[in-house]
Amino acid sequence: MRVVCAMSGGVDSSVAAALMVEAGHEVVGMTMRLYDAGDDVRRGRGGTCCSPAEVDLARAACSRLSIPHYVVDERERFTAQVIDPFVRDYAAGRTPNPCTRCNQHIKFGPLLARARALGADVLVTGHYARLDDGQLRRGADPAKDQSYFLFAMGDDARASVRFPLGSWTKDDVRARARELGLPAADAPDSQELCFVPGGDHGAVVERRAAALGLDVTDLAPGRVVDEAGEVIGDHDGIHRVTIGQRRGFRTRGTERRYVLAVLPQSQTVVVGAARGRTAGLRVGELQRLGLPEHGEQLAARVQVRHRGDAEPATLQWSGDHATVRFDTPVDAAAAGQAAVVYDGDRVLAGGWITDVTSA
Amino acid sequence: MIGFDHNAGTPLHPAVSEAWAQLLREADLGNPSSIHRQGQRAREVLEQARRAVAHALGVPALGVTFTSGGTEADALAIEGSAAARERAGRPAGVLTSAIEHPAVLGAVARVQARGHRVVRVPLDDRGRFAPGEVAAIVADAPDLGIVSLAAANHELGNRYDVAAIVAAVRSVRDDVTIHVDAVQAFGKVPVDLAAWGADLVAVSAHKIGGPAGIGALVHDPQARLEPLWQGGAQERGRRPGTESLWLAHAFGVAATRAEAEREVTAARWAELRPRLRAGIEALDGRIHGDLEATTGNTLNAGFDGCDGQLLVMALDLAGFATSTGAACSAGTSEPSAVLRALGQSPARARQALRLSMGRTTTAADVDGLLAALAPAVARVRTHAGELAS
Repeated sequence: MRVVCAMSGGVDSSVAAALMVEAGHEVVGMTMRLYDAGDDVRRGRGGTCCSPAEVDLARAACSRLSIPHYVVDERERFTAQVIDPFVRDYAAGRTPNPCTRCNQHIKFGPLLARARALGADVLVTGHYARLDDGQLRRGADPAKDQSYFLFAMGDDARASVRFPLGSWTKDDVRARARELGLPAADAPDSQELCFVPGGDHGAVVERRAAALGLDVTDLAPGRVVDEAGEVIGDHDGIHRVTIGQRRGFRTRGTERRYVLAVLPQSQTVVVGAARGRTAGLRVGELQRLGLPEHGEQLAARVQVRHRGDAEPATLQWSGDHATVRFDTPVDAAAAGQAAVVYDGDRVLAGGWITDVTSA
Repeated sequence: MIGFDHNAGTPLHPAVSEAWAQLLREADLGNPSSIHRQGQRAREVLEQARRAVAHALGVPALGVTFTSGGTEADALAIEGSAAARERAGRPAGVLTSAIEHPAVLGAVARVQARGHRVVRVPLDDRGRFAPGEVAAIVADAPDLGIVSLAAANHELGNRYDVAAIVAAVRSVRDDVTIHVDAVQAFGKVPVDLAAWGADLVAVSAHKIGGPAGIGALVHDPQARLEPLWQGGAQERGRRPGTESLWLAHAFGVAATRAEAEREVTAARWAELRPRLRAGIEALDGRIHGDLEATTGNTLNAGFDGCDGQLLVMALDLAGFATSTGAACSAGTSEPSAVLRALGQSPARARQALRLSMGRTTTAADVDGLLAALAPAVARVRTHAGELAS
């Protein structure tokens, strides 16, 4: 069977490709250029995903595996479907989830189309997740599970995608990469968003906001207030703070403070001594993976951040909207993030958090 | 792998491999500039190669300067002339076209950056222009001193009447330096430099069965050209650096073979090209460029709803080497600059598929390509049609 393997140049996609080759398939490697590292690379600010350095690693991996390697340019689409919504979300005081959008609109949209255009029935990626007959499940390595980012793949993609690493641990993947002499075997995992060089997403937002015609005063430095509304500090822009975190602002005194809320219209950040707690959520753009169109009182577990646990909750939904009520309040969720519904390790549904009800 | 990308590069002619094998056996070659006998032997090999290239082009050997390829030959011609003109206080503005090879466009851009005007001759939607238009432009523009127009277009396969263009320009002005990029013409169509009457002609080896890394600028032995860099006195000071002996040797052999075989090859193409064109048109493909005045080996096609790059990949997987005509190894899919210059939209320009035959292309190759093309077009259109809009 001919398969196209998405090659980022990293160890995961390289090993995924190797496994497909070992299984006897005709593998075609394809790298997407998503982001123009351009200036940042020239100024030595390190590479990011799909800068020419990554393309080179992918090419070397394909050469090592003796498979063809093609590079496609998705920079325009990536900007429109991932970076710009990212910028708009932050400017509106939401916390974006670009990896899910990339999977939804780039990897499992155009890339899958290209794979089919090249006569491949299957698209392979190095995601840590499992697909069994179209049922999306967590990957075996809990530290690496990426199912949270994959809920929006769509039925068509779930039928045509394979995740060879689904039952692998990261350590085993690295070990196999070393055995195979793949170039990225010892490259450290990147902890940042692929298009945010050096982790400074604030700079990315500021640069792009002007180009999008957003009112950049929304991104201006502003005041930090406590729950009583008293001004106790300042911040460098609402886009530089995240609900539930302690960084990105300065306050008087030495107490720990956590971001509770962001008020874009007044460029104000509200902080408190403890993380906020969320009792419930409203979710939009719901994608149902096998659930019927309507439902009430479904007991499940809901995860609201990548590194968070899926907490017990009750789900009520109709069409593409859902309401979630947590059995016990959970650490503050943020509008703009994804809410993914699990039953054990199976993904039942997922959507985007539109409203958060505080406990 | 069956090649339909000969405009990008050609396989080594067997005579070249044989010539290298022979030279390897003879050994004992030194630096062509050395006084000792090893140097003398190397010098003889080099000059024999030069004579071979000159003979193939119908010019005296003194008028052939070896370079690292067509790009350097174009740069030496354009920037070298502009610099020499500046020194002599003569105008160095350039008249060229928007569809020249990037090597020419790049050199022209650098001349422009030195403060000289650049004018482009208007083209019709197939990339054609009349020699008279070129003459009319330079007649009215004393600040233009250099004309650079290719003998054949690398993407479209258009062939231009160089002799007529030169004659038209000379009829209105006698002080213009005329440069012709003949990289895509040499080995395909008659390249009679004496008849052309141009001042500077660029050719390269890897389009005619030689190795990449060597080309030549053909010029009047007295031509005033500033070298692109300073160093030793090789190539009469026009191109410092130890001469590329082995590549020049290969170039000489390739040039001789290419000229000797050109007519037979062109005759075969004359039979194959209509077959290829018919197959493309049967799939509702468009043909870009001049349909009549061509190099004979090239067809630049476009299929509605089909991204050219995807077609190239699909054909590659089916065993056929083709190209979009636009450079994209790092995965930048810029639409064909040539088609854009002819007025096509970016979406249309991205559909370009360039097919270029070679010395060894057979009817079976053409039929095989067409057989692979039909399903490739269908699949690309069906699954990735939206990507092409």
